[in-house]
Amino acid sequence: MMARRNWLTFVLLGGVIVLVAVAADLVGDRLLLRITTNLCISMVLVVGLQIFMGNSGILSFAHVGFMGVGAYTSAVLTIPVQMKGMALPNLYPFLADVAMLPVVGMALGGLAAALVAALAVYPLMRLSDAAAVITSFALFVVLHTIMYHWSDVTNGPRTLFGIPKGTTLPLAAGVAIVAVLAALLFKESRVGRLLRASRDDEIAAASLGAHIPRLRWQAFIVSALLAGIGGALWGHFITSFSPKQLWLKETFVILAMLVIGGPRTVTGAVVGVLVVTASFEGLRSLEGAINRADVLSEPLVGMTELTLAVAMIAVLALRPGGICPSREVGYYLFRRRSRGP
Amino acid sequence: MNPAQFVLDVLSLGGAYALMALGLVIVYGILRLVNFAYGELIMVSGYTMFLVSGSGLPWLAMAACGVIMAVAAGIATDYLAFRPVRAKSVTAVLITSFAFSTLLQNAALLFISPRPRAVPLPELFSRTVEFAGVITPVRNLITIAVAVIMLGIFSWLMRSTALGIAMRAAATNFRMARMMGIPANLIISAAFAISGLLAGAVAILWIGRIGTVVPGIGLQPLLIAFIATVIGGMRSLQGAVLGGFLLALIDTSLNYTLPQDLLKFRDAFTFSLVILILLWRPEGIVRGPASGQRT
Amino acid sequence: MLDIDSLEVSYGAVRAVRGVSLRVRKGELVTLLGANGAGKSSTLMAIAGAVRATAGRVRLDGADVSGATPEAMVRRGVAAVPETRDVFPDLTVAQNLQLGAFTRRRDQAGVLHDRDTHFARFPILAERLHLPAGNLSGGEQQMLVIARALMSRPAVLLLDEPSLGLAPLVVDQIFGMIRSLKESGLTILLVEQNAAKALAVSDHAYVMRLGRIEAEGPASEIAAATELKSLYLGAEP
Repeated sequence: MMARRNWLTFVLLGGVIVLVAVAADLVGDRLLLRITTNLCISMVLVVGLQIFMGNSGILSFAHVGFMGVGAYTSAVLTIPVQMKGMALPNLYPFLADVAMLPVVGMALGGLAAALVAALAVYPLMRLSDAAAVITSFALFVVLHTIMYHWSDVTNGPRTLFGIPKGTTLPLAAGVAIVAVLAALLFKESRVGRLLRASRDDEIAAASLGAHIPRLRWQAFIVSALLAGIGGALWGHFITSFSPKQLWLKETFVILAMLVIGGPRTVTGAVVGVLVVTASFEGLRSLEGAINRADVLSEPLVGMTELTLAVAMIAVLALRPGGICPSREVGYYLFRRRSRGP
Repeated sequence: MNPAQFVLDVLSLGGAYALMALGLVIVYGILRLVNFAYGELIMVSGYTMFLVSGSGLPWLAMAACGVIMAVAAGIATDYLAFRPVRAKSVTAVLITSFAFSTLLQNAALLFISPRPRAVPLPELFSRTVEFAGVITPVRNLITIAVAVIMLGIFSWLMRSTALGIAMRAAATNFRMARMMGIPANLIISAAFAISGLLAGAVAILWIGRIGTVVPGIGLQPLLIAFIATVIGGMRSLQGAVLGGFLLALIDTSLNYTLPQDLLKFRDAFTFSLVILILLWRPEGIVRGPASGQRT
Repeated sequence: MLDIDSLEVSYGAVRAVRGVSLRVRKGELVTLLGANGAGKSSTLMAIAGAVRATAGRVRLDGADVSGATPEAMVRRGVAAVPETRDVFPDLTVAQNLQLGAFTRRRDQAGVLHDRDTHFARFPILAERLHLPAGNLSGGEQQMLVIARALMSRPAVLLLDEPSLGLAPLVVDQIFGMIRSLKESGLTILLVEQNAAKALAVSDHAYVMRLGRIEAEGPASEIAAATELKSLYLGAEP
């Protein structure tokens, strides 16, 4: 079970999520509610990625692919029957009559992503360094190509519409809190500890009896589960999407959140999401304001991502561990408290 | 299917693919860096040609500008994205190259336009010619010729010049190469510059097929280079060239044989192949230069 | 000529070299002895700049060169031959030698002249000139890496275990060559397990154990000090 300082971390991180959600709810501004819900969804995705990357030390490019698996699975299972005739006219008959509740779809979406991960990635887990990165990237391309062209189920490159609205701010925040708890529990579990030992020294960890590919595999499945749930939450929030919204730009944003916050800690993942979302939205509204002012001959695009890319390179060069490089927030407070009178 | 047509298709596609793969592997072989920003060198070259298109320069001069800017962008990748994190983890270097790719793409979006921009091309590119009994676009023959010339120059550079030999030495054993007095920074910058040079050549050939440049133009060449490199063996220069032609052979054969509704899944097949090859041989099919033991 | 002061090298938590100080005078051949893992190679590689020293000073002719890169050390006249005997296996013998002269690539005539001088010492290399270096035998590879290091016209040569894993006859040949290099005026710092042979050609010797210098003195005294033998001899007679 977790040590007390990890519970403290959980309470603090969960508290921040609750605080942000409640504050947004009290203000009640629709744009703010939207941003906050998206923030909670990003939290699920980034914390999910942290579980794999933070513990194994291996970069995975496939995360958004599993997000897509979750989003499409849940969409196909939940679109109302009469809607399906229009949105997915060629859907296989056994799926055509299915219309589940969004929450059920989300859970199944997560499970589907975890299942695909469990079946597909085990052999990949013995690779390290460049080979691991290229295979995860190749896996992402494979998943993307399937989503992009499997028209009967995904509506192909076109937008899939008619997904029931099922994601509310309390639900997204609740799932984000559960994700944080899962990541902290995983980090302190035997698998998490061995995996981090293997990240620092593969040979030493192997001599402790750790079967590294299997440990990485377990972490990847948990990570894909959260990616799938996060994807489904996203799908039921925006209610229509296309595979183009599940590609490199989204991968970049999620990776930037984790890298800037600090991939080795759950606190880093949470902080990264908060910092990047805040600056991203700030820049985007600036971009919007400039475009509305109509002072430029063409609309301004790309400034937000450009700034984020520069920030990411700067963080990697100057503070490679991110904002929270090695310790969870609970550690500092716990130490301070136990040192007190 | 006309066999001469098939051979011509494979050779012209393969020539372009081989140059793409070579540009990626020259950096990977020496630095173990998968440069995600490689495709953006092609983009930079394309936009340079667009920007100088109103200048009234002869076309060859405009093309030269494109190539020069791709070389400059390659060297900039070294200074801005690679050097600051060189001493850190493999992962950090990969992420910066990915970030640098995003940076360049969004700079193009921000300062030029998200919409396609026309690139000047000589009239010759759009002509067709009858060759060996088949009617083929002249640009395919140009592609083959440029590929042969570039591969020739490259091979001479790597075999017969002090810099080329030093780069091959660095690819086998970077530390030992430095202990010969070969400056690490020189080798790294040279690798990025050559990568840019190849990207510049690819840009002209690749954009010659489409006629326009968009911010995302680099993605497909990058993916092609990935596959070709993996097929050919990650660290071997000859392997990269071989991989380029093999991939062109696979692609062209699939184009001729697969039905349309399966053909759209081609990327899924080729990338599954990439995964399988890497699982089978993480170092690729053609083994790279044998690595000296390191202590 | 070469002055090392309180050198430290760590690999992660392992402190391989702990405050080593030693001195090599001009024209001297100095040997560093010690059992496996005593930190000899780490010391040598730190001097060459190939391994980063965590503390300490390296002075060359009085100039502080601590923390210099390996390429800078070669330019300053310090050439190193690591024990891993790293030839570039895909390059020919000629290309390997050409790389050794990388810092002198403007002086092709001088380079070719030096190459011929080395061929007089290692005639086998002239015979194998256009073969890939990977095809040479262990002894030939050792001659190649030494000749290659000499191509930069170093003032100081750092030699790490040149006799490692070679047949006795070849070992004799290598030591004969080391002696002749010393006689030609080259300053040499040698790391060896073959203590008897090394001491026979050396002027001065240091004995290392667990990262520290345990003893030093003129080679003849070290050779005579029987109580030191257990420190550096290990399994050899």
